[in-house]
Amino acid sequence: MLSEKNNSRFGGASKYILDDELAKIVNVSMALEMPLLLKGEPGTGKTMLAHAIAESLQMPLIVLNVKSSMKLIEALYQYDTLTRLNDSRFGDSKRNVSDIEAYIKMGKIGQAFTADKKTVLLIDEIDKADTDFQDDMLDVLDQMQFDIIEIDKTIRAKNRPVIVITSNAKKDLSDPFLGRCNFHHIAFPDPDMMRLIVSVHFPKLDEELMKICISTFYRLRELRSIEKKPATRELINWIRALKSDPDFKPKTLYQGRVPFLGVLFKKSADLQQAAQQVIKSRG
Amino acid sequence: MFVNFFYTLKDRGIPVTPTSFLRLQNAMSKGLVHSLDDFYTVARTILVKSERYFDTYDQIFAHHFRNASLEDPTAVELNEVARAMLEEWLQNPQELADMLGIDKDKLKKMTPEELIQYFLERLKEQTEAHHGGNKWIGTGGTSPTGHSGYHPGGMRVGGASRNHSAIKVALDRRYRDYSQEGPLTQSQIGEALRRLRRLMPTGPKDVVNVDKTIYETMRNAGEIDIIFDRRLTDRLKVMLLIDNGGWSMEPYIGVVQTLFHYASSQFKDLKIFFFHNTIYSRVWADPQRYYKPQDVDELIRWDPETRVIIVGDASMAPYELMHPNGAIYVDAKPSGTSIERLRFIARTFPHSVWLNPMPSDEWYYSTTVKAIRQVFTMYELTLDGLEKAVQFLTSSAK
Repeated sequence: MLSEKNNSRFGGASKYILDDELAKIVNVSMALEMPLLLKGEPGTGKTMLAHAIAESLQMPLIVLNVKSSMKLIEALYQYDTLTRLNDSRFGDSKRNVSDIEAYIKMGKIGQAFTADKKTVLLIDEIDKADTDFQDDMLDVLDQMQFDIIEIDKTIRAKNRPVIVITSNAKKDLSDPFLGRCNFHHIAFPDPDMMRLIVSVHFPKLDEELMKICISTFYRLRELRSIEKKPATRELINWIRALKSDPDFKPKTLYQGRVPFLGVLFKKSADLQQAAQQVIKSRG
Repeated sequence: MFVNFFYTLKDRGIPVTPTSFLRLQNAMSKGLVHSLDDFYTVARTILVKSERYFDTYDQIFAHHFRNASLEDPTAVELNEVARAMLEEWLQNPQELADMLGIDKDKLKKMTPEELIQYFLERLKEQTEAHHGGNKWIGTGGTSPTGHSGYHPGGMRVGGASRNHSAIKVALDRRYRDYSQEGPLTQSQIGEALRRLRRLMPTGPKDVVNVDKTIYETMRNAGEIDIIFDRRLTDRLKVMLLIDNGGWSMEPYIGVVQTLFHYASSQFKDLKIFFFHNTIYSRVWADPQRYYKPQDVDELIRWDPETRVIIVGDASMAPYELMHPNGAIYVDAKPSGTSIERLRFIARTFPHSVWLNPMPSDEWYYSTTVKAIRQVFTMYELTLDGLEKAVQFLTSSAK
């Protein structure tokens, strides 16, 4: 157990800035073999974390994007009746038509279970599905096995995948679900952290420009009655926009003017609000 | 053991379970916790399952580990833990057995008293081991990090702490914004409203109907005939009519806003109108009830399958509801009684409900509530009432 853990400790990846706390949590969850549930505002890097774990531990990443109409079975396996029907009609494939197993395709969870290598299984935006889906899925993940009814066969996980689950919603998931997960809420990065993140994306960014951009960004996040606050992604795009504008000078920002406001605020009502408040604060 | 800590969390309203507590012990026994910082993070990720409690956790943690040295659990506390474990055991023997690494079948043969005794002994054994400082949390010598400030018996923090010590982090109260003071009802409303969504086949025909395909293929004497269906999407139309005027609605603004916000994010096809006290010839699409009037008569052109939810306290002066010129606005044209308008809406849209934020036991004191209840089915604007309303709206027969 220990030896296995030592060579599979998570310590961050090339494009992902990881804080110590989160690294610790990931390692604990892996050691306890529990799914890790991540919540937090959009743009705090929940999904990126799974990519980073997979990269740093060199495990294949399997992503299950949850949709609202999704049934659990789709995530486990799929019985490809159409191909079978086709084969039975034309009989020109190498598959044996009477062997149903040849027509079972693994879903994302099934793939993670049957993979020869330990994998990272990312279950993205679990909150989109209804509560039944969530609870049933955790049963499967708990027992690390599921049944294929069509061929009366039980699929057991060869290797227990590292499971990362993300949720966007403010609402809580059901108690049984929470009981089986480790939980972490990724807070919005503070300015220092943000500086690190920005410098990963713009390694040659001017120090002065970086400072004023970030302070402007955090000021804009404080504006009142904004429905969707700008997040990391918006900041990166905004800096990119500023850099590509030949007429732009950092002085503009010091004067309180904010060009390319539309890059930061995506909803038209928010944009109007922000524009008004920016003008007011200058006056 | 941190039994005190665990119980303080519990007492302060964080829903912590004995299973998760044992899981924490398990994590410590695996040598995952080397310092108080580790403990802060690990305990939080295992015990606390919502960011709403992070702030409370921070406060308790700071209080607990700064001011108080952790004392060994007393016999009473041990008893309580053992009892909690017994409850847990009854619910899920396998899990607990795994957690403690004991034999389930062996425990099965014991009586509850024996079980408690057994748990108690195990707990004591662990407490004693903890004194030695090598089993539960590696302090005072065996720990690889060897923080000098940790007292082996009591796990107390002394001396200078590092910049990012857990206590300091906890004292920062980074999660204050997420604590429970914020509006909680939104999630519950969402869960209730979500059931209103109804999936209907629209869009491109790109989903294979296996049963029909097989049937048609058989009919075709084995010549394959693939049948496609339209994919399912949510096409439910919802109209929300909100009473946003007058002081009588004032106390309920919060809960109505919550409903409003959630509804607007949840339904693709949602129309929201506002009115004051009751509905006359017009409703308004803007909350100021000025710029965007909508004639009520024109609603007849809408899809009668639209679900109509009216939110209001239904309390007003009776003449506002009953008198042909009852409208309290000067510029309102006389347009028949308001109650007649309401009947019109109820007739046009068979699936309609009235949600009243006023508690239902107060409804009997208001004559207008009584009158409106004869027109619309009325529910309380509470989680319970909302669920009933949704049930009512989804049932097709009226």
